[in-house]
Amino acid sequence: MCTAAVGVLSHFLQRHGIATTSISLIREQSEAVHPPRALWVPFPLGRPLGVADNPEFQTDVLRSALGLLESATKPTIVDYTREAPDGGGDGLWACAIELPTPEVSELEASLRAEIDLLMPRYLEARRRRGRSTFGMSGAKLEQIDQLVSYAVAVAEGGGFDQIPASATGRDWTHPTPMLIRFVVEDLRAFYQESVTSDADAGPPSQHDMHAWIFRETALGRLIMQIAQLITDDDDPRLLFIRGLLIPEGFWEGGPTFGGPPPGEDPREFLIRSRRYLQGQEA
Amino acid sequence: MVRLSDLHPEEAAGMLAAAPRFGDIDHEATPWIDPPPLAESTICLVTSAALHRRDDVPFRFGDSGYRLIPDDINPDDLVQSQVSVNFDRTHYQRDMNVVLPIDRLHELHEAGEIGGVSAMHFSVQGASPNAKTFEASAADMANRMRELGVDAAMLAPV
Repeated sequence: MCTAAVGVLSHFLQRHGIATTSISLIREQSEAVHPPRALWVPFPLGRPLGVADNPEFQTDVLRSALGLLESATKPTIVDYTREAPDGGGDGLWACAIELPTPEVSELEASLRAEIDLLMPRYLEARRRRGRSTFGMSGAKLEQIDQLVSYAVAVAEGGGFDQIPASATGRDWTHPTPMLIRFVVEDLRAFYQESVTSDADAGPPSQHDMHAWIFRETALGRLIMQIAQLITDDDDPRLLFIRGLLIPEGFWEGGPTFGGPPPGEDPREFLIRSRRYLQGQEA
Repeated sequence: MVRLSDLHPEEAAGMLAAAPRFGDIDHEATPWIDPPPLAESTICLVTSAALHRRDDVPFRFGDSGYRLIPDDINPDDLVQSQVSVNFDRTHYQRDMNVVLPIDRLHELHEAGEIGGVSAMHFSVQGASPNAKTFEASAADMANRMRELGVDAAMLAPV
């Protein structure tokens, strides 16, 4: 919903005196919202400037969006016609690392073996890039074992509340049950940043990356196991977590997000589910 | 290449269903604003990627608030609490500028194409079921932008 949200925010900022221009990733949402100025770009979601490590291309996109501040005289959506240089990238990438053969009954051991194998590449990538996106849960890297223990406990039916101690000396940055979403995201970031550590190869598309994780890694099995537990649970509010763990197209049972129970207003259900996931409602 | 037809049908349906929900904003009530020429304008970035500093309170699901990102932030200090899993993170993991083009903005400033770069940028959680909840935050963000000498904001979704 990001493109629509950006459009609405553009309106509000202009009503308070700040001129705006924006990028649009979903043209249909911009057409509905009529933002003051929008440059629609034909890039994958998550990549408003098009492609990583290509300053010339990024500058061209940015210059085009900023240019609307001078050229537009009324609410305008302009199409950016250059495709991303990698064409979106699906099907171009294959993981160069052979992971240990997963032992179906040993989820935790398989996960730890994969992490041990990936760690040197993760550290190399982090050093070279000078950054990492790991830490969304509030964990430090040295706590990755705790993340694994927690995620496996959840996957094996231990519930969402067996949370490990935080190394930061404060509460985890997300309440349960939402915490599991960011614990999984940290593990996923660790895997992704590790296997894209090759400086010469371009990053894979998100689809190729998800396909690799779900088909070839113990992490993928872990996520699916959590999703199955959620699916089997009687509480429909938990289905939101499934939709935040598994992208559309990777859950064989249909849409990853569930819906409200029969007869319940979808908006009310969304509010109720959100409060539950944020730990504000039992 | 991503157009609605390129997305998974469930995802595309969700995107389309969202449009009318956001579209009932009275867009004609928004005044037209012409900023100074670009070469004289100070620009700030606004991302909906829910980026924030590691020691910031993360965004909640449905959060309508904002976080400030210093222009000189160490990129390793940036984390993301966007709840959606349905967008590409691999390029962002490789290069912050694909989402938050701070370096590109500075290059345009050095080339004289824009007048300045704001000392702060802004971040929101764009996966919002009701973007109208941003109204109060937007008023406060606009005040902060004025204090920072911002002439125009460049907003980018994920």
